[in-house]
Amino acid sequence: MSKWPNTTAKAHDSAHNHVTGKSEYVDDRIIMKNELFCDVILSPYGHAKIKKIDFSKALKEKNIIAGFTGDDFHHNYWGTIFQDQPVLASELTQYAGEPVAVLVGTNLVDVQYAKSLVEVEYERLEPILSIDEAIKKKSFIGDRRFIKKGDFDKEIKNCEHTLSGEVRIQGADHFYLESQATIVYPLEDGQFEVHSSSQHPTETQHVVAHALGVPDKDVVCIVKRMGGGFGGKESQAAPFAAIAALCAQKLNQPVRIALTKDDDMMATGKRNPFQNKYQVGFDKDGRIKALRVELYSDAGAYADLSTAIMERAMLHCDNAYCIDNMLIEGQVCKTNHHSHTAFRGFGGPKGVATIEKIMEEVAHSLGVDPLDIRMKNLYLDEKGRDTTHYGQVFKNNCLPALFTKLRQSSLYDKKRKEIAEFNKNNDQYIKGMSLTAVKFGISFTTRFLNQANALAIIHQDGTLQVATGATEMGQGVNSRIAEMVASEMGLDRDLIRMMPTRTDKNANTSPTAASSGTDLNGAAALLAIRKIKYRLSQLANLLFEIPEEKWAKNTAGLGSAPELNVEYMPHENDPNAGTEWPTGKANYFDIEFEDGFVINIKTKKKIAFKDLVIEAYLNRISLSDYAYYKIPGIEFNKLTGKGDAFLYFTQGCALSAVTINRDTGELKVDSTDILMDLGRTVNRDLDLGQVSGAFIQGMGWVTSENLFYNKEGLLLSHAPSTYKIPNIQDIPREYNIELLENDENYMNVRGTKAVGEPPLLLALSVWCAVQNAMTYTNSYKNKYPQIKIPATNEEILRALNLEKFQQWDQA
Amino acid sequence: MIKFYLNGKFCEVDARHSTLMLSDYLRYEKCLTGTKVVCAEGDCGACTVLRYSPMLQGLESENFQAVNSCIMPMAAMHGMHLITIEGLEKDQKMHQAQEKMMSCHGSQCGFCTPGFVMALAGLSEEKINRNEKAIDPKEAKNALTGNLCRCTGYDTIVKAACTMDLSREESLKARYHNEEIEKHLSEILSKDLKIEESDYQLFAPTSYKSAIEYLQNNLDAKIIANATDLGVVHNKRRIKLNNLLSLHLIKEAYEITYKEGIVNVGARVTLSEFRHFLKDKCVEYVHYLDIFAAPQIKNNATLIGNVATASPIGDNAPILLALDASVIIQGPKGERVEKLSDFFLDYRKTTLKNDELISAISFEIPKERTLKFFKNSIRKDLDISTINLGLNVKISNDKIEDILIGAGGIAAIPLKLRKTEDFLRGKKLEPSVIKQACDLAQTEYTPISDVRSTSSYRRVVFENVFTRALGAMS
Repeated sequence: MSKWPNTTAKAHDSAHNHVTGKSEYVDDRIIMKNELFCDVILSPYGHAKIKKIDFSKALKEKNIIAGFTGDDFHHNYWGTIFQDQPVLASELTQYAGEPVAVLVGTNLVDVQYAKSLVEVEYERLEPILSIDEAIKKKSFIGDRRFIKKGDFDKEIKNCEHTLSGEVRIQGADHFYLESQATIVYPLEDGQFEVHSSSQHPTETQHVVAHALGVPDKDVVCIVKRMGGGFGGKESQAAPFAAIAALCAQKLNQPVRIALTKDDDMMATGKRNPFQNKYQVGFDKDGRIKALRVELYSDAGAYADLSTAIMERAMLHCDNAYCIDNMLIEGQVCKTNHHSHTAFRGFGGPKGVATIEKIMEEVAHSLGVDPLDIRMKNLYLDEKGRDTTHYGQVFKNNCLPALFTKLRQSSLYDKKRKEIAEFNKNNDQYIKGMSLTAVKFGISFTTRFLNQANALAIIHQDGTLQVATGATEMGQGVNSRIAEMVASEMGLDRDLIRMMPTRTDKNANTSPTAASSGTDLNGAAALLAIRKIKYRLSQLANLLFEIPEEKWAKNTAGLGSAPELNVEYMPHENDPNAGTEWPTGKANYFDIEFEDGFVINIKTKKKIAFKDLVIEAYLNRISLSDYAYYKIPGIEFNKLTGKGDAFLYFTQGCALSAVTINRDTGELKVDSTDILMDLGRTVNRDLDLGQVSGAFIQGMGWVTSENLFYNKEGLLLSHAPSTYKIPNIQDIPREYNIELLENDENYMNVRGTKAVGEPPLLLALSVWCAVQNAMTYTNSYKNKYPQIKIPATNEEILRALNLEKFQQWDQA
Repeated sequence: MIKFYLNGKFCEVDARHSTLMLSDYLRYEKCLTGTKVVCAEGDCGACTVLRYSPMLQGLESENFQAVNSCIMPMAAMHGMHLITIEGLEKDQKMHQAQEKMMSCHGSQCGFCTPGFVMALAGLSEEKINRNEKAIDPKEAKNALTGNLCRCTGYDTIVKAACTMDLSREESLKARYHNEEIEKHLSEILSKDLKIEESDYQLFAPTSYKSAIEYLQNNLDAKIIANATDLGVVHNKRRIKLNNLLSLHLIKEAYEITYKEGIVNVGARVTLSEFRHFLKDKCVEYVHYLDIFAAPQIKNNATLIGNVATASPIGDNAPILLALDASVIIQGPKGERVEKLSDFFLDYRKTTLKNDELISAISFEIPKERTLKFFKNSIRKDLDISTINLGLNVKISNDKIEDILIGAGGIAAIPLKLRKTEDFLRGKKLEPSVIKQACDLAQTEYTPISDVRSTSSYRRVVFENVFTRALGAMS
């Protein structure tokens, strides 16, 4: 393992608490004597005027204390990009499931029963519930955006072959196990302590302060951990915190909100649905010459993050493939659905789904293996084949290596033959397979979000506390940061305590999102601890020069020896500056930190880290420091659609093979082989866990997770009884995950690569495999199957039995 | 007072807590917050605890079993012994399920983790009892079918289960339960339990006679065996459960008898017990039960509850229709027996009167017949059927001597396809006959489109499956 010196396989830093039930989540906090519970009343209409809200009947019930509406807020509007969303809808409700009022009581069960007694008078208006309808009515959010490369209009006319079509993509629920939850404690002087299950404590702090009309200084938001986030708590944790805060402010008592799974699923936004129209031109060898994609997304009722999601979708329409002439257009639509939001992968999966389907379809039309088409179109490390449609040069391209290796290790060609053979002789089952790729841009495409800060503290006993703006939602960001700091200081991880994320320690932070948690906060934490390391290194050298009896621990009380002084480190923004490669550790003044000791590599003199720390304290050398990090070189111009949008790309590919039951449309994933490039991992096992979990989550989105709405747009599949995420029996029968060795990602802290989102996109291999299976049936010999996301049993069976379905649909 | 044991300690709660679900009691009254609640409908397993019920008799051993605490009202805990995640460590040493879930990275955000650990602990109890030391992937997956995780992708959880070394574990029963507790619980279970509050009452009698008397005076009372169905209704705040009759203290309700090929399943027999009973008697039914609900639900829910709730889907009703089962009903005038095919009247309506209850279901275990039980759902496991079908066919001399067809998910009630049965009797199974039978069957029902599928999907699946199943018999 010499090549991978930093990789550990330590358990998640909370794993021992998770397995014993000791980990504390928001709703696990002990209920205070005077604590109250609140719950929201949801609109049953997709679009309606709110004429009257009457709490009088509900207030007569036992244990019910008060009810509030949007009018009770100091400011009722919030929104990450545009402040267009009411915390509680007043006057107008714009989606079914929208919170319109809050009821407070001393007992949660009583509050939940009394909710039905709150009388809300609505005047129904016509809702818009589809992208098609929104386009027709020009119901849009933001302007149409463009990214152009070459000249699509000119080139498409010269192409030997052209195809056009549409990809329809449904949303998906995050299904974080812990629903939205917040407790707000009112403190003296009108301050509020907000414990929230939020990926974005800074925004939660700001939204609460703004809604209550109090200054930011009087609101502290604290996030210990989340029971899952996946993007669903990036923006949408904030309004529920504000609702609880309103009750706490009005009643001056602690107030808890912990949504039921049903309410959470109805009220909160999902992954944006997309409808992407495409037109593609290619030559007889399958080299794609021109591509136009027109993307439309369903934002739901409010803007939330949808414009940024659209941008990422547009930036990912190339995926792994270099196409000379591209015209990408994106328009966000406003409908009367819940306000859709970030979900692992953001817009990426919607762009990638489109181009991966195109690869399959082009191959089908030419009668060749889709993998050959993909490999023919890959980005290469050569001029003319290395530049994206937004003009960024693609560095550290691992795609050719990933494709070649996975083709071999997954036995692609053997499996292809076996499937073809199987399909000849079976009338009940049909098999298919597909190898798809991901090239995922890492960085927020909004430049100012790419900043972070960290606070590192060494206590006098030689143990450390590190606080950053990163929030822990299971991904292990705290473990990774702790492990980086530990290795930097030559200490065991157990000596480092990652502190709960608090806006009074780390302010103006970005959400833990865009897979960037470790990149941003890990870099900041390393920069902070290195400032102390820089001082301690000098101190060690000074101590080595004088006899131990003169050290401060023996003299400080007496004042008999002069105080030792050190220089402070100048500002540094590059976490890889001055580091050894491949360890990524920075050493100063010939001093190394190793195994709890601090050693001069020339003189071999050493001192225990613990002893050095005491000396530092007694010599009045600061043992705490704060650092700030911003990702360099991000220059993407949203208006021209050009520039370096990303610091680097995480890449991977996956082969999935599936079996379909032709009687029922039921789908089984027989095997999945994944090969990921994650640079040099900090903790290999935690990274593998991210890959595995992201893939299965993506598999749910493209197969069984079906959002089903009534005619008002109210979600009816709002619980696990009707909304089916993958179960333990659904994982691929054979499931292999391997990592590519790559220690050349010099752009990022320690040569690591972000892992949170990219593997989710590999689940598109399952979706493409379903289409591939269809092409073996007689119905799809000469045309390509149109399968939406998700490819539910019904979607599959329908495609296999178009006529039968038509007959019954009309009956 | 409701009396039970929790992690080896005796607990009593007063009547005002009896409507609380066990999970809420643990979390908010006892501050045992390791038990999580996610869906509050028994569909995710986060709330899993272990329960030992001294009266269960249909299993190979009397163990602590995994159950969903979110849908178990406190009143039904009377006479039980419960173990929560907090009870698993011994002298601060982790249980193998905990140790391996930690070291194999079976936990990420951690919210589902206690539920997975408890389900694995339940499996461990079973294995230790059988003196088996290791868990294989299939056993692990089957035991964890009732637990949802959104983070890990499950592979590390399977790995954790399969690396558990059970030779290092002593059973929880040996650790927490003893003769003294057993004796105490039987005393508790031997007496009627009656709770009367101003807005809530519950009666758990020890005999059907007292149960019927109670019903006569409380026509609005809801009957529960273990409340897996009504627990959900309560949690969704659709109705208030303010008058309950619980059958869990009636000893004879726990019986499964088998005489002369006829099986008689008591009202309090769980689906796990039922499955165990059928193991060597009706394999087709066992396979069907394997994809029914979660282990936690099967350890709690009863066959009769599943029929009495009169869901148009079932999932058991269509199969029992195909087996020509009868329901045995107790009422003020004594016992009456009714064919299940006559029992369902309309959506969620049956012939059961307000002062009656079902004490048993009986059917003959088929011999020399071809059985085909089929279930289709959005997700293969842990899902309610979109459509299900039970076929019970007797063929002699190439002809159908008898056929029974039950189907669910296609009408307001679990449906017996009488016309199709009549048509097929005496016919030779050839493609044209099957086609005609299928066309006829399609006229016998009108499915609706709902959250699970369109009506067209149900029609096409029915046709494909029905045709293939009969084709395979010809």
